Amino acid sequence: MKLIDTIKYRLTVDVAGRAFLRYERFLNARRLKNARFKSENLAPPLRISAWTKELISLHYFRGRYVEGHQPVAYVTSGGPVEILKALGYYVIYPENHAALAGARHAQMELIQSAEEFGFSQDICSYVRTDLGTALTGKTPVGKLPKPDLLLACTNICQTVLHWYRVLQKIFNVPLVVIDTPFVYTEAPPHAVEYVKKQLENELIPVAERVAGRTLKEKKFKEVVKYSKDATELWLEILNMGRHIPTPISIFDQFIHMAPIVEMRGDKVTVDFYYAMLKEVKERVKKGIGSVKNEKKRVLWDNLPVWYKLSRLAAELADRGVSMPISTYTYAWGELAPLIDIERGMESMARVYLYPILNRGTGHKLEVMRQMVKDFKLDGVILHSDRSCKPYSIGQVPQRNKLMEEFGIPALLLEADHNDERAFSEEQVASRIASFLEMMEVA
Amino acid sequence: MDILEKIPSRREVIESFKSTGGKIAAVYPYHYHRALFRAFDILPVEVWGPPGIDTTYGSSYLQPYVCSVVHSGLSFYLSGGLDVVDFIVVPHACDSLQGLGSVYIDFVKPKQPVFTIYIPRGRKDLDVEFLSKEFESIFNRLKELTGKSVTEDKLMEEILKEEEALKKVRELYSKREQISLSDYHFYRVVRSREYLPAEKFMEIADHLLENFSDGTEREGVPVIFSGLLPEPMEILEKLEEIDGRIVADDFACCGRRLYGEGKSNNPFVRMAESILNSPPDSSRGATVDERVEHLSSLVKKYGARGVVFYIVKFCEMELFYIPHMMRGLKERGIPSVYIEVDINDPLPDQTITRLEAFVEVL
Repeated sequence: MKLIDTIKYRLTVDVAGRAFLRYERFLNARRLKNARFKSENLAPPLRISAWTKELISLHYFRGRYVEGHQPVAYVTSGGPVEILKALGYYVIYPENHAALAGARHAQMELIQSAEEFGFSQDICSYVRTDLGTALTGKTPVGKLPKPDLLLACTNICQTVLHWYRVLQKIFNVPLVVIDTPFVYTEAPPHAVEYVKKQLENELIPVAERVAGRTLKEKKFKEVVKYSKDATELWLEILNMGRHIPTPISIFDQFIHMAPIVEMRGDKVTVDFYYAMLKEVKERVKKGIGSVKNEKKRVLWDNLPVWYKLSRLAAELADRGVSMPISTYTYAWGELAPLIDIERGMESMARVYLYPILNRGTGHKLEVMRQMVKDFKLDGVILHSDRSCKPYSIGQVPQRNKLMEEFGIPALLLEADHNDERAFSEEQVASRIASFLEMMEVA
Repeated sequence: MDILEKIPSRREVIESFKSTGGKIAAVYPYHYHRALFRAFDILPVEVWGPPGIDTTYGSSYLQPYVCSVVHSGLSFYLSGGLDVVDFIVVPHACDSLQGLGSVYIDFVKPKQPVFTIYIPRGRKDLDVEFLSKEFESIFNRLKELTGKSVTEDKLMEEILKEEEALKKVRELYSKREQISLSDYHFYRVVRSREYLPAEKFMEIADHLLENFSDGTEREGVPVIFSGLLPEPMEILEKLEEIDGRIVADDFACCGRRLYGEGKSNNPFVRMAESILNSPPDSSRGATVDERVEHLSSLVKKYGARGVVFYIVKFCEMELFYIPHMMRGLKERGIPSVYIEVDINDPLPDQTITRLEAFVEVL
């Protein structure tokens, strides 16, 4: 790492950037006091939103100046980031970046660029968004640093394996693949051992070499502890959705999940979720619901439709429908009990083998069953996401089972998390209308 | 005599094998080891679709954006096509096959036991160790299910037999240019290994090598095909009509399974070494450069003039590689074309026209 880059980074990011963003947070917090969403029936955004914005802005702002100051890694969202954090890496999650582009409606130009290069419309739209950035340098966050290391963990899909091979071809930097055998029912001991050995014998040596540092156990444990603490807090926040009316909706969760994905292992993330939990508890105490006059409560399955978030939130709120929980946001909390700081890599191996996306379709059904009971839900929307086969396959029988067992309506909604062309306005509107009719809230 | 007359149908093979007390395992695409099942007198019969069947059955479990190989594979089971089999095996090759295995276990719940095999994406010692244990756990489960006390020596015997059959496939490929058979006939022979016992396959291969190698050079523009499988197989006849010929392939069902031999005396390790010593392919996450290098070497070795990427629609793992592979080949002076197919649809005229234009240019 170069001294000049470090000085530049310290002055620009740590001094000027932080101060500016803190001031902006202060202004945003003031604005939020009187904020309203598009719908009169939606509760105002959480006050914590000002901090979320500061965290995300600072994260990407750091990225503009980080090259030469810190090693940079691109990591899949389910990757074992704690090891990299302990080695001082600045981490970019291309999936999050793609989601952010989608939420800001900046993704289609990037998708177009990737398709012009030859990538098919049938591959994941996160990938096309991200490759659009990698190929053109365009991004809604100003600039993304080039990676020194790529880390792909197959526990969310096989797509990432191929995605990162393409990134490897574009950036010509080392790629470490952590191969996590799919858990159809239970992970056999040889699968746990396999992942553990990959972490120890492949990821650590390569990450150390690229960073020019040695992994220190004390630092690693500290990062894992922050990771565990933040994950536990996130889970507790999500479980607040069991209250009636629910104090937070999945739309809040989609917005505020960025730190648990992007900043897992940082102390500030723990502080942030502690503050968020406090605010959500305040809402419960005051009886503030995410939707005014909550009549029905619905589960969301799969990734969000990023470019339609606010519209969907408003439409449902206007009919008194709240969405207290989703399998997607829950995925970043449910593994908290598996994180065991004292059991080191074996614990990490289990944690990274067991995300919902690396488990069978039956497991997801069980998660949804439990949610229907625990969150007292009246219906389910399963987003059949054209871009995410591992999450979507199994939804047809899952929907049928939920309807049969609970006697509640369940809608399979065809769309795509980032490609707007796969979202049919009329079809979605009519399907949601029928679904609401079935719930008697039309 | 037409070579096709020598090849029994899947149905004939299954009936004959079962009549001697053997059992049948339906195996989905695409990496696994046949010996693991043969040691228990179980014949693996692969399920690559089959093409052209009614996929509405599968729609009760799968969305329309799941590829036709997986859609057909499940529809075939649901329509009773696999009633005759005793086991179902779903190797893990991609997200869709992963989903298929999972849906089988959790929702379809067939009367037959379902086996899944996770194929590691690397080729290191660690990967061999994992896969050998994966095979060993299947071996132990088969022992329990069949009640047969198969020894490791017996397993090794079957491994060696399969290695011999594989050598025969290699020989067919290496002598392809001297074998006076159309591509359609040649691939019918090579693909019969998807369901024939090794001993029967070798008998047919020997017959082919003895009776059809008349030294006459084949005619037509030499090309290489890359993709999952040559379906609908009509594509091979069409290729011949437009004066093209396949000199080598990178098909998942064929060329990508020209495994190297294992070296270990431990049968599980030997099987794992062999499977992981396969040509670079998408399902195992090979690098773009490895795949470009592999295709380039095939082009050079067999004197091909171009590469046809013959890709099943929605097959994400194949689609990822296309842009960089086509560029990589172009940089080496090798033209290529990309064609998308659905194995359940009749071959579209547009596909034939594109292929024809490509072959003409070559």
